[in-house]
Amino acid sequence: MSGPSGALTSGGAAGADGLALATRGLRKRYGDRRALDGLDLSVPPGVVYGFLGPNGAGKTTTMRVLTGLVHSDGGTVEMLGKPYKRGDRRRLFEVGALVESPTFYPYLSGRANLRELAASGAPVPSKRIEEVLDLAGLCDRADDKVQGYSLGMKQRLGIAAALLSDPKLLLLDEPANGLDPAGIVAMRDTLKALASQGKTVFVSSHLLAEIQVMADMVGIIAAGKLVREGPLKELLSMQGVVKVRVRPDLMEAAIKTLTPIAPAEHFTETDRDEGWLAVHLAADRAEEVNRTLAGSGIYASGLESGNDLEMLFLELTGGHGSGGEGAFVGLGGPNGDDAHDGGASAGNGTAA
Amino acid sequence: MRLFASGIRKLSRRPATFVTFGLLVGLLVLIVLAVGATANSTMGNGANQATRAAAAKELVTFPGAYDRMLAFITGLGGLFAMIYGAAIAGSEWSWGTLKSAVARGESRVRYLLASFASISFMIAIGVVVAFGIAIVAAIVGAHLAGLSTSGLGDTATLSGLPARLLKGWFAVVEEAALGFTIATLARSQLAGIGAGIAFYFGESFASIFLPDIVKFMPFSVANAALATGSSGGFGGGAAAASLPADQALVLVGVWLVGSLVVTSIFADRAEITG
Ligand SMILES: Nc1ncnc2c1ncn2[C@@H]1O[C@H](COP(=O)(O)OP(=O)(O)OP(=O)(O)O)[C@@H](O)[C@H]1O
Ligand SMILES: [Mg+2]
Repeated sequence: MSGPSGALTSGGAAGADGLALATRGLRKRYGDRRALDGLDLSVPPGVVYGFLGPNGAGKTTTMRVLTGLVHSDGGTVEMLGKPYKRGDRRRLFEVGALVESPTFYPYLSGRANLRELAASGAPVPSKRIEEVLDLAGLCDRADDKVQGYSLGMKQRLGIAAALLSDPKLLLLDEPANGLDPAGIVAMRDTLKALASQGKTVFVSSHLLAEIQVMADMVGIIAAGKLVREGPLKELLSMQGVVKVRVRPDLMEAAIKTLTPIAPAEHFTETDRDEGWLAVHLAADRAEEVNRTLAGSGIYASGLESGNDLEMLFLELTGGHGSGGEGAFVGLGGPNGDDAHDGGASAGNGTAA
Repeated sequence: MRLFASGIRKLSRRPATFVTFGLLVGLLVLIVLAVGATANSTMGNGANQATRAAAAKELVTFPGAYDRMLAFITGLGGLFAMIYGAAIAGSEWSWGTLKSAVARGESRVRYLLASFASISFMIAIGVVVAFGIAIVAAIVGAHLAGLSTSGLGDTATLSGLPARLLKGWFAVVEEAALGFTIATLARSQLAGIGAGIAFYFGESFASIFLPDIVKFMPFSVANAALATGSSGGFGGGAAAASLPADQALVLVGVWLVGSLVVTSIFADRAEITG
């Protein structure tokens, strides 16, 4: 994977308020169903922005509004420093998008599909097609018909298509869908490289662990509204957790001992049987927790710490009834992603 | 222009293009050869057989065969063109390729009209090539029937041929536009094709009861626009109550433009959520 060529556009992409993408009070209904209900997003330039929300929260709808596929019922959008209204389709020449699933002519090859796609919208030099094919790791199969592509290969081609016009703003709706681990790593590296060149990457995902390692900023939405937005580090430091495992009979004593360093509401006994006590503290205070306990003669048999996006996610979106939150807890993770097991149990405890 | 050229590249690699064309030409050649080969057979009996044989011979007798081949191509070809138009427009929605172009900032209307323009271009090639093949088949058919092909070089007919081919193309394009529009409204290939076929047969069927209305309908005007009075032709609308050719030609244009306007208005307003 090499970074894409093209002009670097650090400052030029930002608006008067310094944002690459901003929505204010964005509203959208499908019939009676309210998909976006006054969404306010503020995406600064040059970042990877993780756009999170449970199923049906309105992520895809947001992408559709931003790409002119559907028209909003109200609110404003500012894109790359200028207002973006219905009919401003040329503004999308500087935007690359993958909305929901990638779409192609099945009877054409991957390369031919990109070539024909390049005939629409912004003009694209033909060497750019080879660049994005290379970037997506599809060179070997570029001449095969798309109908013979695997799910992940189609997804790669979809990402390649989004990069076609070397966009200043990249909108990706669940791009990791169907990618193998190598593909996910490659995509993450590519997106980070793009952001480091000053481009803005707006990426929705269900893979929280993925967003956690990739995003600089996170926006979490539920039921069409923003519930939290900010730099990932900041959100996570508010959401740090230190988990200690103590003997069940020492649990009360441990809480009492730790009260001076953490207020009472910061304790969650995640799973009494196992004796894990979760303390909501910045992750870097694990040592302090351990020292304090030891000072009172309570020795932890296990100690874990981390900043868990999933916990934050569940906490913030759990109360919204747009569907999904029940399924999250019940299924132990939307994508069956093992990486979150520890966090998921902590999350359940918190939400309960 | 970029979009138009791209549209042609896409269509020229698309299986539907060759299937549609192959089916039309295959049927045409089969029928013409079969008619020629059996024109002198003694099957059947009496007067019935005699009129059949006369009609069969007429089909492959030049210069009249020129017109009859063209009528075949615009008649059955019109139905095929409509299915073709519906397949192309419908797949833009079902495959989601319109979505990708719109998200790149392409104008929906421009994209669809360019796509239709490339369909019209392919139809022009299709009509000319099919016509050439049909003439060859008719010559062979005439030989099989033991008829002279001396009318082949009839200058009056030949000089009028380009204009008639142009009209034929225009009529077929109108029928393609109808399929294109129906599929756009239905946002689906299958629905577009189904509705188109229903339209085609519905029109011939309704012409039995409502000839005065049906003569203004798309397939009837397409056939009427090419009528020369003498030629019966194959397939499509009813000949009974058709409009004069000039008037019909204007209506072909009205249907064509009307379809494209409807497509444009719909596409501009549609929510693309596929
Ligand atoms: N074409 C449509 N017609 C009617 N309602 C729709 C349509 N598309 C989405 N919705 C509704 O709008 C809401 C938001 O859907 P959207 O697809 O934006 O969610 P999402 O956040 O992308 O979900 P997911 O994580 O499952 O992809 C949902 O309630 C959904 O049912
Ligand atoms: Mg979605």
